[in-house]
Amino acid sequence: MTVASDTSALPRLERYFSALWLLARRDLRVRYSTSFLGYFWSLLDPLLMAAIYYFVFTQVFNRDVGESPYIVFLLTALLPWTWFNGTISDTTRVYLVESKLIRSTKIPRTIWVASLVLSKGIEFVASIPVLVIFAVFTGAQVHWEAFYFLLAIAMQAVLTLGIGLIVAPLVVFFRDLNRAIKLLLRFLFYASPIIYGVTDLPASLHVLAAFNPLSGILSLYRSAFFPEQFDAFTVVVAGLMSLVFLALGILVFRRTERAVLKEI
Amino acid sequence: MNHAARTGSMADAAPPPVIEVENLGIRFRRNRLSRRSFKDLFAGSTRRTRSGEFWALRGASFTVGAGEAIGVVGRNGQGKSTLLKLVAEVMLPDEGHVRVHGGVAPLIEITGGFVPELTVRDNVYLTAGLHGMKRQEVDARFDEIIEFAEIGDFLDTPYKHLSSGMKVRIAFSVISRLEEPIMLVDEVLAVGDKGFREKCYRRIEELLAGGRTLFFVSHNEGDLRRFCTRGLYLNQGQLVLDASIDEVLDRYNADYAEV
Repeated sequence: MTVASDTSALPRLERYFSALWLLARRDLRVRYSTSFLGYFWSLLDPLLMAAIYYFVFTQVFNRDVGESPYIVFLLTALLPWTWFNGTISDTTRVYLVESKLIRSTKIPRTIWVASLVLSKGIEFVASIPVLVIFAVFTGAQVHWEAFYFLLAIAMQAVLTLGIGLIVAPLVVFFRDLNRAIKLLLRFLFYASPIIYGVTDLPASLHVLAAFNPLSGILSLYRSAFFPEQFDAFTVVVAGLMSLVFLALGILVFRRTERAVLKEI
Repeated sequence: MNHAARTGSMADAAPPPVIEVENLGIRFRRNRLSRRSFKDLFAGSTRRTRSGEFWALRGASFTVGAGEAIGVVGRNGQGKSTLLKLVAEVMLPDEGHVRVHGGVAPLIEITGGFVPELTVRDNVYLTAGLHGMKRQEVDARFDEIIEFAEIGDFLDTPYKHLSSGMKVRIAFSVISRLEEPIMLVDEVLAVGDKGFREKCYRRIEELLAGGRTLFFVSHNEGDLRRFCTRGLYLNQGQLVLDASIDEVLDRYNADYAEV
Protein backbone atom coordinates (compact mmCIF):
# COMPACT_ATOMS: atom_id res chain seq x y z
CA MET A 1 0.00 0.00 0.00
CA THR A 2 1.32 3.43 -0.88
CA VAL A 3 0.03 6.51 0.80
CA ALA A 4 0.77 10.14 0.14
CA SER A 5 -0.80 11.39 3.29
CA ASP A 6 -0.45 15.12 3.31
CA THR A 7 -1.69 15.97 -0.16
CA SER A 8 -5.41 16.48 0.15
CA ALA A 9 -7.85 15.36 -2.51
CA LEU A 10 -8.52 18.69 -4.20
CA PRO A 11 -5.01 19.73 -5.25
CA ARG A 12 -4.40 16.15 -6.29
CA LEU A 13 -7.45 16.21 -8.54
CA GLU A 14 -6.40 19.58 -9.87
CA ARG A 15 -2.95 18.22 -10.61
CA TYR A 16 -4.45 15.21 -12.36
CA PHE A 17 -6.52 17.37 -14.66
CA SER A 18 -3.73 19.80 -15.41
CA ALA A 19 -1.45 16.89 -16.29
CA LEU A 20 -4.24 15.38 -18.39
CA TRP A 21 -4.53 18.60 -20.33
CA LEU A 22 -0.76 18.86 -20.77
CA LEU A 23 -0.54 15.34 -22.16
CA ALA A 24 -3.46 15.75 -24.52
CA ARG A 25 -1.97 18.98 -25.82
CA ARG A 26 1.38 17.30 -26.22
CA ASP A 27 -0.17 14.53 -28.31
CA LEU A 28 -1.99 16.99 -30.54
CA ARG A 29 1.08 19.17 -30.92
CA VAL A 30 3.28 16.27 -31.88
CA ARG A 31 0.72 15.06 -34.38
CA TYR A 32 0.24 18.46 -35.98
CA SER A 33 3.74 19.86 -35.82
CA THR A 34 5.28 16.95 -37.68
CA SER A 35 2.95 16.64 -40.63
CA PHE A 36 2.12 19.08 -43.35
CA LEU A 37 -1.55 18.14 -43.60
CA GLY A 38 -1.94 18.07 -39.82
CA TYR A 39 -5.60 18.43 -38.97
CA PHE A 40 -6.72 17.03 -42.32
CA TRP A 41 -5.16 13.66 -41.66
CA SER A 42 -7.57 13.08 -38.83
CA LEU A 43 -10.44 13.81 -41.24
CA LEU A 44 -9.11 11.83 -44.14
CA ASP A 45 -9.87 8.42 -42.69
CA PRO A 46 -13.56 8.96 -41.88
CA LEU A 47 -14.11 10.94 -45.11
CA LEU A 48 -12.61 8.22 -47.26
CA MET A 49 -14.68 5.58 -45.49
CA ALA A 50 -17.80 7.67 -45.93
CA ALA A 51 -17.05 8.12 -49.63
CA ILE A 52 -16.56 4.38 -50.11
CA TYR A 53 -19.76 3.36 -48.34
CA TYR A 54 -21.66 6.14 -50.02
CA PHE A 55 -20.52 4.90 -53.41
CA VAL A 56 -21.18 1.25 -52.66
CA PHE A 57 -24.61 1.73 -51.16
CA THR A 58 -25.99 4.41 -53.45
CA GLN A 59 -24.31 3.64 -56.77
CA VAL A 60 -23.71 -0.11 -56.71
CA PHE A 61 -26.39 -1.53 -54.43
CA ASN A 62 -29.85 -0.24 -53.98
CA ARG A 63 -29.81 1.10 -50.47
CA ASP A 64 -32.80 0.32 -48.31
CA VAL A 65 -31.15 0.93 -44.94
CA GLY A 66 -30.32 4.20 -43.24
CA GLU A 67 -31.77 7.55 -44.12
CA SER A 68 -31.25 10.36 -46.59
CA PRO A 69 -29.06 12.24 -47.06
CA TYR A 70 -27.04 9.07 -46.65
CA ILE A 71 -23.66 10.82 -46.57
CA VAL A 72 -24.75 12.79 -43.47
CA PHE A 73 -26.18 9.60 -42.02
CA LEU A 74 -22.81 7.91 -42.50
CA LEU A 75 -20.71 10.75 -41.13
CA THR A 76 -22.75 11.16 -37.94
CA ALA A 77 -21.58 7.67 -36.98
CA LEU A 78 -18.21 7.46 -38.74
CA LEU A 79 -16.72 10.50 -37.01
CA PRO A 80 -17.47 9.20 -33.48
CA TRP A 81 -16.35 5.73 -34.61
CA THR A 82 -13.00 7.21 -35.63
CA TRP A 83 -12.63 8.58 -32.10
CA PHE A 84 -13.47 5.22 -30.53
CA ASN A 85 -11.41 3.15 -32.94
CA GLY A 86 -8.37 5.44 -32.78
CA THR A 87 -8.34 5.56 -29.00
CA ILE A 88 -8.67 1.83 -28.49
CA SER A 89 -5.99 1.03 -31.09
CA ASP A 90 -3.64 3.48 -29.42
CA THR A 91 -4.27 2.15 -25.92
CA THR A 92 -2.81 -1.17 -27.04
CA ARG A 93 0.55 0.60 -27.38
CA VAL A 94 0.28 3.21 -24.67
CA TYR A 95 2.39 1.48 -22.00
CA LEU A 96 5.10 0.74 -24.52
CA VAL A 97 5.20 4.29 -25.85
CA GLU A 98 5.02 6.02 -22.48
CA SER A 99 7.13 3.59 -20.49
CA LYS A 100 9.92 6.08 -19.74
CA LEU A 101 7.51 8.65 -18.38
CA ILE A 102 5.60 6.06 -16.40
CA ARG A 103 8.87 4.94 -14.80
CA SER A 104 9.75 8.46 -13.72
CA THR A 105 6.52 10.22 -12.72
CA LYS A 106 3.98 9.20 -10.17
CA ILE A 107 0.84 10.73 -11.65
CA PRO A 108 -2.08 8.31 -11.21
CA ARG A 109 -1.51 5.94 -14.07
CA THR A 110 -5.02 6.00 -15.45
CA ILE A 111 -3.89 9.27 -16.99
CA TRP A 112 -2.10 7.53 -19.86
CA VAL A 113 -5.37 6.10 -21.11
CA ALA A 114 -7.43 9.14 -20.19
CA SER A 115 -5.17 11.51 -22.10
CA LEU A 116 -5.64 9.40 -25.24
CA VAL A 117 -9.41 9.56 -24.85
CA LEU A 118 -9.12 13.32 -24.44
CA SER A 119 -6.77 14.06 -27.34
CA LYS A 120 -8.76 11.88 -29.76
CA GLY A 121 -11.94 13.42 -28.38
CA ILE A 122 -10.65 16.89 -29.17
CA GLU A 123 -9.94 15.73 -32.71
CA PHE A 124 -13.48 14.42 -32.94
CA VAL A 125 -14.96 17.72 -31.77
CA ALA A 126 -12.72 19.51 -34.26
CA SER A 127 -14.14 17.32 -37.02
CA ILE A 128 -17.76 18.30 -36.33
CA PRO A 129 -17.58 21.36 -38.67
CA VAL A 130 -17.08 18.92 -41.55
CA LEU A 131 -20.36 17.28 -40.65
CA VAL A 132 -22.01 20.70 -40.58
CA ILE A 133 -20.64 21.51 -44.03
CA PHE A 134 -22.05 18.28 -45.47
CA ALA A 135 -25.36 18.89 -43.74
CA VAL A 136 -25.60 22.37 -45.23
CA PHE A 137 -24.77 21.20 -48.75
CA THR A 138 -27.15 18.27 -48.70
CA GLY A 139 -29.91 20.22 -47.01
CA ALA A 140 -30.16 17.92 -43.97
CA GLN A 141 -32.46 19.27 -41.26
CA VAL A 142 -31.07 19.88 -37.78
CA HIS A 143 -33.45 19.13 -34.92
CA TRP A 144 -33.40 20.06 -31.27
CA GLU A 145 -32.02 16.58 -30.63
CA ALA A 146 -28.64 18.03 -31.62
CA PHE A 147 -28.25 18.74 -27.90
CA TYR A 148 -27.96 14.99 -27.42
CA PHE A 149 -24.47 15.37 -28.89
CA LEU A 150 -23.25 16.47 -25.46
CA LEU A 151 -24.75 13.44 -23.75
CA ALA A 152 -23.38 11.16 -26.47
CA ILE A 153 -19.88 12.61 -26.11
CA ALA A 154 -19.99 12.11 -22.35
CA MET A 155 -21.20 8.52 -22.70
CA GLN A 156 -18.62 7.73 -25.34
CA ALA A 157 -15.82 9.18 -23.22
CA VAL A 158 -16.87 6.99 -20.28
CA LEU A 159 -17.16 3.88 -22.45
CA THR A 160 -13.86 4.42 -24.25
CA LEU A 161 -12.02 5.11 -21.02
CA GLY A 162 -13.48 1.95 -19.49
CA ILE A 163 -12.48 -0.28 -22.40
CA GLY A 164 -9.08 1.41 -22.64
CA LEU A 165 -8.39 0.69 -18.98
CA ILE A 166 -9.09 -2.99 -19.62
CA VAL A 167 -7.11 -3.25 -22.84
CA ALA A 168 -3.97 -1.26 -21.93
CA PRO A 169 -2.70 -3.42 -19.04
CA LEU A 170 -3.69 -6.74 -20.60
CA VAL A 171 -1.73 -6.05 -23.78
CA VAL A 172 1.42 -5.65 -21.67
CA PHE A 173 1.16 -9.31 -20.66
CA PHE A 174 -0.44 -10.81 -23.72
CA ARG A 175 1.14 -9.23 -26.76
CA ASP A 176 -1.09 -11.25 -29.08
CA LEU A 177 -4.04 -9.40 -27.72
CA ASN A 178 -2.96 -6.54 -29.93
CA ARG A 179 -4.05 -8.48 -33.00
CA ALA A 180 -7.19 -9.78 -31.39
CA ILE A 181 -8.20 -6.21 -30.61
CA LYS A 182 -7.74 -5.23 -34.26
CA LEU A 183 -10.05 -8.02 -35.34
CA LEU A 184 -12.57 -7.21 -32.65
CA LEU A 185 -12.64 -3.59 -33.70
CA ARG A 186 -13.34 -4.58 -37.28
CA PHE A 187 -16.12 -6.89 -36.12
CA LEU A 188 -17.53 -4.16 -33.93
CA PHE A 189 -17.59 -1.76 -36.86
CA TYR A 190 -20.12 -3.94 -38.67
CA ALA A 191 -21.90 -4.97 -35.49
CA SER A 192 -22.62 -1.33 -34.69
CA PRO A 193 -25.15 0.87 -36.44
CA ILE A 194 -22.73 2.79 -38.63
CA ILE A 195 -23.55 1.92 -42.22
CA TYR A 196 -27.09 1.06 -41.13
CA GLY A 197 -29.35 2.44 -38.42
CA VAL A 198 -30.54 0.84 -35.15
CA THR A 199 -34.05 0.73 -36.62
CA ASP A 200 -32.90 -1.37 -39.57
CA LEU A 201 -32.15 -4.42 -37.43
CA PRO A 202 -34.72 -7.21 -37.33
CA ALA A 203 -36.90 -7.05 -34.22
CA SER A 204 -35.37 -10.24 -32.87
CA LEU A 205 -31.94 -8.59 -32.65
CA HIS A 206 -33.18 -5.39 -31.11
CA VAL A 207 -32.49 -6.28 -27.47
CA LEU A 208 -29.20 -7.98 -28.21
CA ALA A 209 -27.96 -5.01 -30.24
CA ALA A 210 -28.80 -2.65 -27.39
CA PHE A 211 -26.14 -4.35 -25.29
CA ASN A 212 -23.54 -3.05 -27.67
CA PRO A 213 -23.21 0.36 -26.03
CA LEU A 214 -22.14 1.90 -29.32
CA SER A 215 -25.70 1.34 -30.61
CA GLY A 216 -27.20 3.75 -28.15
CA ILE A 217 -24.37 6.24 -28.38
CA LEU A 218 -24.37 6.39 -32.18
CA SER A 219 -28.15 6.65 -32.32
CA LEU A 220 -27.91 9.63 -29.98
CA TYR A 221 -25.52 11.40 -32.33
CA ARG A 222 -27.74 10.56 -35.25
CA SER A 223 -30.91 11.89 -33.73
CA ALA A 224 -29.56 15.41 -34.37
CA PHE A 225 -30.45 14.98 -38.03
CA PHE A 226 -32.67 11.91 -37.90
CA PRO A 227 -34.87 12.05 -34.78
CA GLU A 228 -36.52 8.71 -35.59
CA GLN A 229 -33.14 7.03 -34.94
CA PHE A 230 -33.52 7.84 -31.25
CA ASP A 231 -34.47 4.82 -29.23
CA ALA A 232 -34.86 5.38 -25.50
CA PHE A 233 -34.33 1.74 -24.51
CA THR A 234 -31.10 1.41 -26.48
CA VAL A 235 -29.78 4.67 -25.09
CA VAL A 236 -30.51 3.75 -21.47
CA VAL A 237 -28.86 0.36 -21.88
CA ALA A 238 -25.86 2.04 -23.54
CA GLY A 239 -25.58 4.44 -20.59
CA LEU A 240 -25.61 1.60 -18.09
CA MET A 241 -23.22 -0.51 -20.14
CA SER A 242 -20.79 2.40 -20.38
CA LEU A 243 -20.78 2.72 -16.61
CA VAL A 244 -20.34 -1.03 -16.23
CA PHE A 245 -17.35 -0.92 -18.59
CA LEU A 246 -15.82 1.96 -16.65
CA ALA A 247 -16.25 0.14 -13.33
CA LEU A 248 -14.78 -3.01 -14.84
CA GLY A 249 -11.95 -1.00 -16.37
CA ILE A 250 -11.03 0.59 -13.06
CA LEU A 251 -11.13 -2.81 -11.39
CA VAL A 252 -8.90 -4.50 -13.98
CA PHE A 253 -6.55 -1.54 -14.01
CA ARG A 254 -6.15 -1.52 -10.24
CA ARG A 255 -5.63 -5.25 -9.96
CA THR A 256 -2.98 -5.33 -12.67
CA GLU A 257 -1.18 -2.06 -11.90
CA ARG A 258 1.45 -3.60 -9.63
CA ALA A 259 2.35 -6.25 -12.17
CA VAL A 260 2.33 -3.81 -15.10
CA LEU A 261 4.82 -1.51 -13.39
CA LYS A 262 7.21 -4.40 -12.94
CA GLU A 263 6.91 -5.41 -16.54
CA ILE A 264 7.55 -2.13 -18.35
CA MET B 1 -0.79 22.99 20.77
CA ASN B 2 0.78 24.98 23.58
CA HIS B 3 4.43 25.78 23.73
CA ALA B 4 5.31 23.54 26.65
CA ALA B 5 3.78 20.46 25.07
CA ARG B 6 5.61 21.04 21.80
CA THR B 7 9.02 21.48 23.30
CA GLY B 8 8.32 18.49 25.50
CA SER B 9 7.60 16.19 22.59
CA MET B 10 10.42 17.56 20.48
CA ALA B 11 13.05 17.39 23.19
CA ASP B 12 14.64 14.05 22.33
CA ALA B 13 12.90 13.36 19.01
CA ALA B 14 14.59 13.25 15.62
CA PRO B 15 13.34 15.58 12.87
CA PRO B 16 9.81 14.67 11.68
CA PRO B 17 9.91 11.70 9.30
CA VAL B 18 9.37 12.45 5.62
CA ILE B 19 9.87 8.91 4.34
CA GLU B 20 8.63 5.93 6.32
CA VAL B 21 9.41 2.49 4.97
CA GLU B 22 8.04 -0.51 6.74
CA ASN B 23 8.78 -4.14 6.00
CA LEU B 24 9.11 -3.33 2.31
CA GLY B 25 9.24 -6.17 -0.18
CA ILE B 26 8.90 -6.63 -3.91
CA ARG B 27 9.35 -9.73 -6.03
CA PHE B 28 10.07 -10.26 -9.70
CA ARG B 29 9.95 -13.16 -12.06
CA ARG B 30 13.35 -14.59 -12.77
CA ASN B 31 12.48 -15.59 -16.29
CA ARG B 32 10.61 -13.18 -18.49
CA LEU B 33 9.32 -16.00 -20.62
CA SER B 34 7.93 -18.09 -17.84
CA ARG B 35 4.29 -18.75 -18.29
CA ARG B 36 1.87 -16.38 -16.77
CA SER B 37 -1.78 -17.01 -16.27
CA PHE B 38 -4.71 -14.72 -15.83
CA LYS B 39 -4.93 -15.95 -12.29
CA ASP B 40 -1.42 -14.68 -11.49
CA LEU B 41 -2.12 -11.37 -13.04
CA PHE B 42 -5.13 -10.60 -10.95
CA ALA B 43 -3.88 -12.20 -7.79
CA GLY B 44 -3.55 -9.73 -4.97
CA SER B 45 -0.30 -9.04 -3.20
CA THR B 46 -0.92 -11.74 -0.64
CA ARG B 47 -0.45 -14.84 -2.76
CA ARG B 48 2.47 -17.09 -1.99
CA THR B 49 5.74 -16.89 -3.86
CA ARG B 50 5.93 -19.18 -6.84
CA SER B 51 9.02 -20.89 -8.08
CA GLY B 52 10.82 -18.75 -10.62
CA GLU B 53 10.23 -15.66 -8.59
CA PHE B 54 12.70 -13.91 -6.35
CA TRP B 55 12.53 -11.09 -3.86
CA ALA B 56 14.51 -8.11 -5.14
CA LEU B 57 13.98 -6.49 -1.81
CA ARG B 58 12.46 -7.83 1.36
CA GLY B 59 11.85 -6.79 4.92
CA ALA B 60 13.40 -3.36 4.62
CA SER B 61 12.32 -0.87 7.28
CA PHE B 62 13.70 2.58 7.96
CA THR B 63 12.65 6.16 8.51
CA VAL B 64 14.12 9.24 6.93
CA GLY B 65 13.87 12.55 8.74
CA ALA B 66 13.46 15.91 7.04
CA GLY B 67 16.79 17.28 5.83
CA GLU B 68 18.65 13.99 6.03
CA ALA B 69 20.92 12.92 3.18
CA ILE B 70 20.79 9.18 2.65
CA GLY B 71 23.13 7.23 0.40
CA VAL B 72 22.15 3.78 -0.78
CA VAL B 73 25.14 1.44 -1.11
CA GLY B 74 25.37 -2.01 -2.61
CA ARG B 75 26.63 -3.90 -5.63
CA ASN B 76 24.69 -4.18 -8.87
CA GLY B 77 21.43 -6.06 -8.64
CA GLN B 78 21.10 -5.83 -4.87
CA GLY B 79 17.91 -3.79 -5.00
CA LYS B 80 19.20 -0.22 -4.85
CA SER B 81 17.33 1.16 -7.83
CA THR B 82 14.28 -0.86 -6.94
CA LEU B 83 14.25 0.74 -3.52
CA LEU B 84 14.53 4.16 -5.09
CA LYS B 85 11.64 3.43 -7.44
CA LEU B 86 9.51 2.24 -4.55
CA VAL B 87 10.25 5.43 -2.65
CA ALA B 88 9.44 7.43 -5.79
CA GLU B 89 6.18 5.46 -5.93
CA VAL B 90 6.67 4.56 -9.57
CA MET B 91 6.66 0.92 -8.51
CA LEU B 92 4.32 -0.66 -6.02
CA PRO B 93 5.46 -3.04 -3.26
CA ASP B 94 4.17 -6.58 -2.81
CA GLU B 95 4.71 -6.38 0.93
CA GLY B 96 4.79 -3.61 3.46
CA HIS B 97 4.45 0.02 2.56
CA VAL B 98 6.15 3.30 1.82
CA ARG B 99 4.80 6.55 3.20
CA VAL B 100 6.15 9.72 1.68
CA HIS B 101 5.12 13.00 3.30
CA GLY B 102 5.63 15.74 0.81
CA GLY B 103 6.41 16.10 -2.87
CA VAL B 104 9.24 14.32 -4.57
CA ALA B 105 11.60 15.51 -7.30
CA PRO B 106 12.69 12.25 -8.93
CA LEU B 107 15.97 12.49 -10.80
CA ILE B 108 15.33 9.08 -12.28
CA GLU B 109 15.39 8.68 -16.07
CA ILE B 110 15.25 12.45 -16.18
CA THR B 111 15.11 12.71 -19.95
CA GLY B 112 12.19 10.29 -20.12
CA GLY B 113 9.45 12.86 -20.35
CA PHE B 114 11.04 14.84 -23.14
CA VAL B 115 9.40 14.62 -26.53
CA PRO B 116 11.87 14.53 -29.44
CA GLU B 117 9.61 16.42 -31.85
CA LEU B 118 8.80 19.35 -29.59
CA THR B 119 11.01 22.36 -28.97
CA VAL B 120 13.11 22.83 -25.85
CA ARG B 121 10.71 25.50 -24.67
CA ASP B 122 7.65 23.26 -25.02
CA ASN B 123 9.48 20.42 -23.35
CA VAL B 124 10.40 22.51 -20.32
CA TYR B 125 6.76 23.47 -19.79
CA LEU B 126 5.61 19.90 -20.37
CA THR B 127 8.06 18.18 -18.04
CA ALA B 128 7.78 20.75 -15.28
CA GLY B 129 4.00 20.59 -15.58
CA LEU B 130 3.91 16.80 -15.38
CA HIS B 131 5.93 16.98 -12.19
CA GLY B 132 3.36 19.30 -10.72
CA MET B 133 4.64 22.79 -11.43
CA LYS B 134 2.03 25.37 -12.33
CA ARG B 135 2.36 27.38 -15.52
CA GLN B 136 3.07 30.64 -13.68
CA GLU B 137 5.75 28.91 -11.63
CA VAL B 138 7.44 27.68 -14.79
CA ASP B 139 7.18 31.19 -16.27
CA ALA B 140 8.88 32.58 -13.19
CA ARG B 141 11.72 30.06 -13.27
CA PHE B 142 12.08 29.65 -16.99
CA ASP B 143 15.10 31.91 -17.46
CA GLU B 144 16.84 30.37 -14.48
CA ILE B 145 16.28 26.87 -15.90
CA ILE B 146 17.64 27.78 -19.33
CA GLU B 147 20.57 29.65 -17.90
CA PHE B 148 21.56 26.74 -15.70
CA ALA B 149 21.44 24.35 -18.65
CA GLU B 150 23.45 26.77 -20.79
CA ILE B 151 21.34 26.27 -23.89
CA GLY B 152 19.88 29.72 -24.41
CA ASP B 153 20.43 29.56 -28.18
CA PHE B 154 18.43 26.38 -28.63
CA LEU B 155 15.08 27.35 -27.12
CA ASP B 156 13.15 26.76 -30.31
CA THR B 157 15.16 23.80 -31.55
CA PRO B 158 13.38 20.45 -31.50
CA TYR B 159 14.68 18.43 -28.58
CA LYS B 160 15.87 15.61 -30.86
CA HIS B 161 18.43 17.92 -32.46
CA LEU B 162 20.24 18.61 -29.18
CA SER B 163 23.46 16.81 -28.36
CA SER B 164 23.14 14.13 -25.71
CA GLY B 165 24.98 16.34 -23.22
CA MET B 166 22.54 19.18 -23.77
CA LYS B 167 19.62 16.81 -23.35
CA VAL B 168 20.80 15.74 -19.92
CA ARG B 169 21.61 19.31 -18.95
CA ILE B 170 18.18 20.69 -19.68
CA ALA B 171 16.50 17.68 -18.05
CA PHE B 172 18.54 18.03 -14.86
CA SER B 173 17.92 21.73 -14.85
CA VAL B 174 14.14 21.31 -14.99
CA ILE B 175 13.83 18.57 -12.40
CA SER B 176 16.24 20.21 -9.97
CA ARG B 177 14.11 23.37 -10.03
CA LEU B 178 11.06 21.55 -8.74
CA GLU B 179 10.32 23.04 -5.36
CA GLU B 180 9.86 19.68 -3.72
CA PRO B 181 11.15 18.82 -0.25
CA ILE B 182 12.50 15.41 -1.26
CA MET B 183 15.08 14.64 -3.96
CA LEU B 184 15.68 11.19 -5.34
CA VAL B 185 18.86 10.81 -7.37
CA ASP B 186 19.75 7.69 -9.33
CA GLU B 187 23.19 7.97 -10.92
CA VAL B 188 21.86 10.40 -13.51
CA LEU B 189 24.97 12.44 -13.06
CA ALA B 190 27.24 9.83 -14.52
CA VAL B 191 26.58 11.50 -17.86
CA GLY B 192 27.52 14.97 -19.01
CA ASP B 193 30.93 16.60 -19.05
CA LYS B 194 32.98 17.18 -15.96
CA GLY B 195 32.26 20.88 -15.71
CA PHE B 196 28.53 20.40 -15.81
CA ARG B 197 28.65 17.50 -13.40
CA GLU B 198 30.37 19.74 -10.87
CA LYS B 199 27.66 22.31 -11.44
CA CYS B 200 24.98 19.69 -10.79
CA TYR B 201 26.73 18.67 -7.61
CA ARG B 202 26.87 22.24 -6.41
CA ARG B 203 23.18 22.54 -7.13
CA ILE B 204 22.47 19.44 -5.07
CA GLU B 205 24.56 20.83 -2.21
CA GLU B 206 22.67 24.08 -2.47
CA LEU B 207 19.37 22.23 -2.20
CA LEU B 208 20.67 20.20 0.73
CA ALA B 209 21.73 23.36 2.49
CA GLY B 210 18.21 24.63 1.90
CA GLY B 211 16.86 21.78 4.00
CA ARG B 212 15.89 19.26 1.31
CA THR B 213 15.93 15.57 1.98
CA LEU B 214 18.18 13.55 -0.31
CA PHE B 215 17.92 9.92 -1.26
CA PHE B 216 20.95 9.07 -3.34
CA VAL B 217 21.92 5.91 -5.20
CA SER B 218 25.48 5.71 -6.46
CA HIS B 219 28.51 3.53 -6.89
CA ASN B 220 30.85 6.41 -6.48
CA GLU B 221 32.31 6.47 -3.00
CA GLY B 222 33.48 10.04 -3.28
CA ASP B 223 30.02 11.29 -4.23
CA LEU B 224 28.41 9.32 -1.45
CA ARG B 225 30.75 10.74 1.18
CA ARG B 226 30.37 14.22 -0.24
CA PHE B 227 26.58 14.43 -0.02
CA CYS B 228 25.38 11.87 2.44
CA THR B 229 25.48 11.63 6.19
CA ARG B 230 23.72 8.33 6.55
CA GLY B 231 24.02 5.16 4.54
CA LEU B 232 21.80 2.20 3.78
CA TYR B 233 23.67 -0.92 2.78
CA LEU B 234 21.70 -3.37 0.64
CA ASN B 235 22.88 -6.89 0.05
CA GLN B 236 20.84 -9.56 -1.71
CA GLY B 237 17.65 -7.63 -1.25
CA GLN B 238 18.15 -7.16 2.48
CA LEU B 239 18.89 -3.99 4.33
CA VAL B 240 21.95 -5.20 6.20
CA LEU B 241 23.22 -1.97 7.69
CA ASP B 242 21.68 1.40 8.45
CA ALA B 243 24.37 3.66 9.92
CA SER B 244 26.55 6.65 9.18
CA ILE B 245 27.80 6.80 5.60
CA ASP B 246 31.43 6.22 6.64
CA GLU B 247 30.53 3.14 8.62
CA VAL B 248 28.42 1.78 5.77
CA LEU B 249 31.14 2.36 3.18
CA ASP B 250 33.77 0.78 5.40
CA ARG B 251 31.62 -2.30 5.84
CA TYR B 252 30.92 -2.42 2.10
CA ASN B 253 34.61 -2.15 1.29
CA ALA B 254 35.48 -4.80 3.85
CA ASP B 255 32.88 -7.19 2.40
CA TYR B 256 34.29 -6.85 -1.08
CA ALA B 257 37.93 -6.23 -0.27
CA GLU B 258 39.05 -9.61 -1.53
CA VAL B 259 36.95 -9.53 -4.70
